[in-house]
Amino acid sequence: MTNMISDLDIPGNQSSPAIQSDWQAGRLAMQGDSYPENSYELFDQVIHWVRHFLSTEQRPLHLELALVYLNTSSVKAMMDIFDLLEEAFATGREVSVDWHYDARNERIAELADEFREDCSYPFAITPVKGEP
Amino acid sequence: MKTRDEEALLSHIATLLGSPEHAGNPLRDALQDLYQQHCEQREQVQRLINISDRYQLLAMEARQVTQARYEDSLRRQRKLSRISDGYQALMRDRNRALHQASTHDPLTDLPNRRMISERLEALVNERRGFTLALLDIDHFKLINDCHGHDVGDRLLVAITRTLSTTLRDYDLCARWGGEEFLLLLANTDLDEAQPIVERLRACLADVTICTGDQKLSVTISAGLSQHRFGEPHQATIKRADQALLDAKRAGRNRCLSNIS
Repeated sequence: MTNMISDLDIPGNQSSPAIQSDWQAGRLAMQGDSYPENSYELFDQVIHWVRHFLSTEQRPLHLELALVYLNTSSVKAMMDIFDLLEEAFATGREVSVDWHYDARNERIAELADEFREDCSYPFAITPVKGEP
Repeated sequence: MKTRDEEALLSHIATLLGSPEHAGNPLRDALQDLYQQHCEQREQVQRLINISDRYQLLAMEARQVTQARYEDSLRRQRKLSRISDGYQALMRDRNRALHQASTHDPLTDLPNRRMISERLEALVNERRGFTLALLDIDHFKLINDCHGHDVGDRLLVAITRTLSTTLRDYDLCARWGGEEFLLLLANTDLDEAQPIVERLRACLADVTICTGDQKLSVTISAGLSQHRFGEPHQATIKRADQALLDAKRAGRNRCLSNIS
């Protein structure tokens, strides 16, 4: 495991999503609103982690998302991440996304569905009762 | 020259050069050289064409790659804008809902204290005249106690519906407290306001709701005060409140004005 990089455990706040990665489990999770000041700085770490995992490991990668509001640069970052997964999937890798949303806010599901448009790997959009 | 004609000519020349009967011909060596040079040149031209074709192919492939990249980036850009617009619309709607929630009462959907206070302050600043009516449902506590809060809430909603449909478009009615409503009659003096409020009280007394086999209706007490130029709106409200208290003390189900 010499190629393993340290896992992310970034606490969220009002404007920034909480982010946790688990290299061993092949899992990346993000929750909350995302309109941080240092959007590129924040997501560069995440993109770097995903890229590194996909290039060093052969194991599956699963994303657990419970993102609510995204500003434009966060939307861009998520599109980049989904593209990385698509590239990996095209080479036969096992990747998947599960996007949880508050069942009372159907519009989040519609936006998640727009993201899913270009993804051919398993991409579930799951309603959660009450607070996600 | 057509390729077939050229091939025929070259083959004819080759035959002539190879034929022993022309071996001694003085033109033969010159023709031999000419034939040789032609064949070499022909080969050169063919190589040139091949190279040129390969360059053209490369250039075309490069253009296609650029074009595909451009279209891909355009498509991504559009997707980004579309999703981003979606989130922006979501935020706008959320703001609108928050604004509605911060200015309206959730049960009756009437403007709340905050909203009517802002409106009153604006009227005072614009030095515009108005009369206030503070309405209170008589013995409302009894209804809540005897029939439960859900019946009380239903009654409030029914009263509110009649209030809203009976008022003029430019009047404003807010839920002031539990069973209290504050009516703002803009550009209206006390003499004009009294018949309006009396008519309203009569309409509200006709409102009935059913619970089990019982029909419930209520009476309304009201206190009126006309805004005096220069006084803050809180003072006008206080005088309406005093008039309402007087109406309650005088036996309820009546409308009194504060003129002190």
